[in-house]
Amino acid sequence: MNSFAVELGFGLVAAGFIAVAAVGATLQFGITNYINFALGDYMTIGAYSAWVLTSRAINFWVATAVAVVIGGVVALLISRFVLAPFVRRKTPVLYMLIVTLGVGLIITNVIQLLFGSDQQQYPASVIDQSAFHLGPFLATPNQLITLGLAAGLMIALHFMLTRTALGKGMRAMSDDPDLARVAGIDAGRITDWVWVISGGLAALAGVLLALDVGSFTPAFGELFLFVIFAAVVVGGAGQPNGAMLGALITGVATSLAVLFVNSAYKNDVAFLILLVALVLRPQGIIPSRRSI
Amino acid sequence: MTLVYYAANLGLFFCGYVILALGLNIQFGYAGVLNFAYIAFWAIGAYITAVFMLGPSTAFSGETYILGLRLPFIVALLAGGVAAGLLAVAMGGLILRRLRGDFIGIGLFALSFALYDVVGNYTPLFNGWAGVIGVPPPLNFFNLNAEQYILYYLIPSGLLAVLLYWVAQRLSRSPYGRALRALREDETVAATFGKNTFRLRLSAMVIGCIYAGLAGGLMIGFLSAMAPASWSAAETFIIWTAVIVGGLGNNRGSVLGVLVIIILLGEGTRLLPLPLEMQSLVPPLRGIIIGAVLIAILYWRPKGLIPEERTKYHLVASQNSAANP
Repeated sequence: MNSFAVELGFGLVAAGFIAVAAVGATLQFGITNYINFALGDYMTIGAYSAWVLTSRAINFWVATAVAVVIGGVVALLISRFVLAPFVRRKTPVLYMLIVTLGVGLIITNVIQLLFGSDQQQYPASVIDQSAFHLGPFLATPNQLITLGLAAGLMIALHFMLTRTALGKGMRAMSDDPDLARVAGIDAGRITDWVWVISGGLAALAGVLLALDVGSFTPAFGELFLFVIFAAVVVGGAGQPNGAMLGALITGVATSLAVLFVNSAYKNDVAFLILLVALVLRPQGIIPSRRSI
Repeated sequence: MTLVYYAANLGLFFCGYVILALGLNIQFGYAGVLNFAYIAFWAIGAYITAVFMLGPSTAFSGETYILGLRLPFIVALLAGGVAAGLLAVAMGGLILRRLRGDFIGIGLFALSFALYDVVGNYTPLFNGWAGVIGVPPPLNFFNLNAEQYILYYLIPSGLLAVLLYWVAQRLSRSPYGRALRALREDETVAATFGKNTFRLRLSAMVIGCIYAGLAGGLMIGFLSAMAPASWSAAETFIIWTAVIVGGLGNNRGSVLGVLVIIILLGEGTRLLPLPLEMQSLVPPLRGIIIGAVLIAILYWRPKGLIPEERTKYHLVASQNSAANP
């Protein structure tokens, strides 16, 4: 069996759910200009919401759709009631990062309080699938669904950003917030929507990640946060197309690395990519106006 | 007697955390460096101190670690501080050069995760996930029993904390401390006045990390073991919260922050009158409270419980009168 092709296939699946979270994160960064450290916890919220609903005998994919809505609503509420007051005070971005860190700490611990710190997994009917051969690749139905969902969402987001008034407003705000405001774009509404989108996408990525690794804990999204950040920074923070490219690089590289290094270091490959990008090309592959 | 033992133990933690908070305050409070890897430097200080004091690792004991020099505690402690400082030179030299402040935090965080994985998985270094254990109690010249020893160890711990507090005070009032604050307030202005901002940031990070390394070396003296589980990322935030709650840019604030967050909040939640089967709720409850306190302080009292004093610069009277006759 060609292990290279197999790992490449896994890498593409990983690139799929990384891209789902990374595009939301980069859109949000482009518009709010601060990093959301609680993003990993929005992923955890998604994974646990889908789990709770599935255990109430609700169809898994319906549960996932509800989890996406929950993620979006939680992100919106946190933005409105926790982050927005700080933004109104013109809190420096360094402190915004610490505020989101506090938010993340609260979410992790609320989940731990509710469900304990044990590893959880989706019911066997969802995860027990036999892999089948697809040319040189090896895939399960869930992996194909992940890839299809990610690809579909990326195309949909592309059209949203280029064809709809909301998407154009987002791009305008990301390019030049002051100019966008002068042109009559409702900054508050755009900010609300970008949080709904980024929270919902993070929740979906959380479910897909949990499917991929098989189990999850209250801290699992937080640990994966830097893989997402790697994709965001490599592509160019604030650039949705860059984040897709960054996700492809990060996902494929971490999976192929398993062929060469101990799989315990899998995530460290993503950290390495993040560090190399930060040191050598902090503006990313597709630079945006924002300087980091 | 157990109450005395408990209080002495708390005193030792207090000294260790005060040193940690002072070091973080030099980095973030004075220089504005967002060092999210801070706890890793504490761990390196502890590990290096441990392997300087322990004898060589043998295949027989089933433990593997580097060095094993059986050197006296003072040498080992200094080595721990130096090791943390050198690691700070390497990590800071890589990350601090040209990034925006929050991305410096992301980069350092990623580095500390990578370091965590390496220390945990690569057993020849510090015995992997199991960690180094059985570090002999330092400075035990009088064959004290465990209880007496804890009380006795308060003396060197307190002395080191006081010494490092004094150094931090001197630093903050020196021209160097003023340059750091200028850098924190406005990097462009500091650079215009001929300050090398990269070197200023790096030096503040190194000094702060030496504090962390010394705290680690001091604390391994009574913890006697160090494993990755005790320096997970969450531990960093507790120190961060202490320094922010106490008041950034001010050493008295750091001490107060440790008292409020680590001692009062940490011990207070431990002593909650919960039935035994609900004890597992204590760590998440503590996490929620710490997160909430952090956000509340940043919103309602962003300068902390003891705000940084505004430094006043008095012109010398004679110069003044000479200028305005």
